[in-house]
Amino acid sequence: MEKLVASVNVLPEQESGASPSVPAAASVPDGRMGRKNASSSGSLSRKIVSLAVPPLVVFVLFVALWEIVIRMSGVQPYLFPKPSDIVTAASENWHNLLVSVRTTIAEAVLGFALSVVLGVAFAVLLALSKTVERSVYPYAIILQTIPIVAVAPIIVIWFGAGMNAIVIIAFLIAFFPILSNTLIGLNSTEMNMKNLFYLYNATKWQTIWRLRIPAALPYILAGMKISCSLSVVGAIVGEYIAGIGGLQGGLGYAITVASTRLQTAYLFACGLTAAVMGIVFFLLINALSNRLLRSWHDSAINS
Amino acid sequence: MSSSLAAIPSAGEEAGSGASGLLVGMEQIGKIYPNGTVAVQNVNLRVGEGEFLCFVGPSGCGKSTIFNMIAGLTGHTSGRLSVLGTTPKEARKMNEIAFVFQEHTLLPWSKLIDNVTMPLTLRGVPKKERIREGERVLELVGLKDYLKVLPRQLSGGMKMRVSIARALISRPKLLLMDEPFGALDEITRQSLQDELLNIWRQDRKMTVLFITHNVFEAAFLSTRVVVMTPRPGKIADILEIPTPFPRSDDYRSSPEFGRHVHAVSETLKH
Ligand SMILES: Nc1ncnc2c1ncn2[C@@H]1O[C@H](COP(=O)(O)OP(=O)(O)O)[C@@H](O)[C@H]1O
Ligand SMILES: [Mg+2]
Repeated sequence: MEKLVASVNVLPEQESGASPSVPAAASVPDGRMGRKNASSSGSLSRKIVSLAVPPLVVFVLFVALWEIVIRMSGVQPYLFPKPSDIVTAASENWHNLLVSVRTTIAEAVLGFALSVVLGVAFAVLLALSKTVERSVYPYAIILQTIPIVAVAPIIVIWFGAGMNAIVIIAFLIAFFPILSNTLIGLNSTEMNMKNLFYLYNATKWQTIWRLRIPAALPYILAGMKISCSLSVVGAIVGEYIAGIGGLQGGLGYAITVASTRLQTAYLFACGLTAAVMGIVFFLLINALSNRLLRSWHDSAINS
Repeated sequence: MSSSLAAIPSAGEEAGSGASGLLVGMEQIGKIYPNGTVAVQNVNLRVGEGEFLCFVGPSGCGKSTIFNMIAGLTGHTSGRLSVLGTTPKEARKMNEIAFVFQEHTLLPWSKLIDNVTMPLTLRGVPKKERIREGERVLELVGLKDYLKVLPRQLSGGMKMRVSIARALISRPKLLLMDEPFGALDEITRQSLQDELLNIWRQDRKMTVLFITHNVFEAAFLSTRVVVMTPRPGKIADILEIPTPFPRSDDYRSSPEFGRHVHAVSETLKH
């Protein structure tokens, strides 16, 4: 056939902004991951500074106020420790703290990974058949409403105190947001897209793999953002109930021990560490999400 | 009309296409949706090989419904419908029908080359052949330098070109286009009309069915215009546009074009 080229109307911003990123996108194997950000690092660091400075100022003021108020009022450290007490307790016990952190991270990450794999797999199974979804999903919702703290002792009985039970508790807490988000994502594929795959004689699996799962990716990642912090909560709750078993105890265990010994400053240190852990975990998943979606999904394009 | 059909040379040589060169045959076709909406009633239409048929009519008159029945996306509730000499469901399996929607329906996470070759990928065509065909159709629509680009980096007109390229990749006998240019600005729309006619003329074995509610578009593109009326959707009349191809901007500004537009508009009013 003869070549039929017409005037290609390139968008104005395309010549400057988007085009240089094309080779970068091409070098990524599956093409789904994003282009390298071409914007100059100078303006980027300025942006980070402008984002980070105000909350940092608030943090410093808050800590200073806390220190001063407790110092002035003379409250005992075991009732309400000052920031300096907490730092001291943390540095005196830094080895124990490190071990606890490592244990809790392992439990939370395992529970989270399990929830992602099983949550997505289960959602795909439900999405494959409307009948199955309609008959099974209500039970998934009911199961979700059972408070995990009520179920945890049974899990300890079944799986023994320790790592296994804790991972399962973390998994149970993190599982449902992934399942429900993925299911919503899988079911919200555009009708026209589905019709197109149907017209091209795509099999059910091809439609799942090439259309519905990629289209659900923003939803799956949103679920993961919720679940990653929840898995840290789950790990700590699990440690309260399942204790240390054969292993060294995690943060939750350290907190229970510290509270019985009235080591309130160390208890604070553990609690704050757990919070930081949840935040870091969230930021990691958030970064992963932006990286996966940056090139094509609206939610991540300007972030 | 039926006499003009008889003049169309028969295709014949390809398996399954039916011996008559009749691509779509509708006899007393009716469609009532499960909720009771009578979308289409008493539609009789015969489409031969190589035609360019435009459907015009107000929205809700059943144009998309007719296309969906031809494509096998929804069943008809009365009458007889044959597509490529067989039932719509069987016809779909022959990979001879392609569809272009008003929305570009490109996969936002896939590069243009992957988007365009998607129909071949689904069929398990080897990668080398896929790439070759992908490059062919992207060149056909003037986008061969954009193989590795993601859809969101393109303008609306370019996305529509990609969508057309994807439809052309399996060299379809029947191309169904449901208001493909409806969301484009007038200038882009006209250049795409020119391109589409050029592509169609290269391959006179391809039949195009094209929905629009723009009478100018219908008068410019078609060999015949099917004018429809709503509630329930019926064919008011089928008008011949005998102006020979190629049709250029000269045709757009000719009195002949004006007469065709006028005729279509008048039929629409009744
Ligand atoms: N899936 C459906 N269920 C019920 N009614 C429908 C459905 N699709 C279309 N209709 C109705 O059928 C009529 C024709 O619709 P459609 O074929 O989309 O018209 P057009 O494409 O000409 O605008 C409209 O009244 C519309 O509301
Ligand atoms: Mg329509």
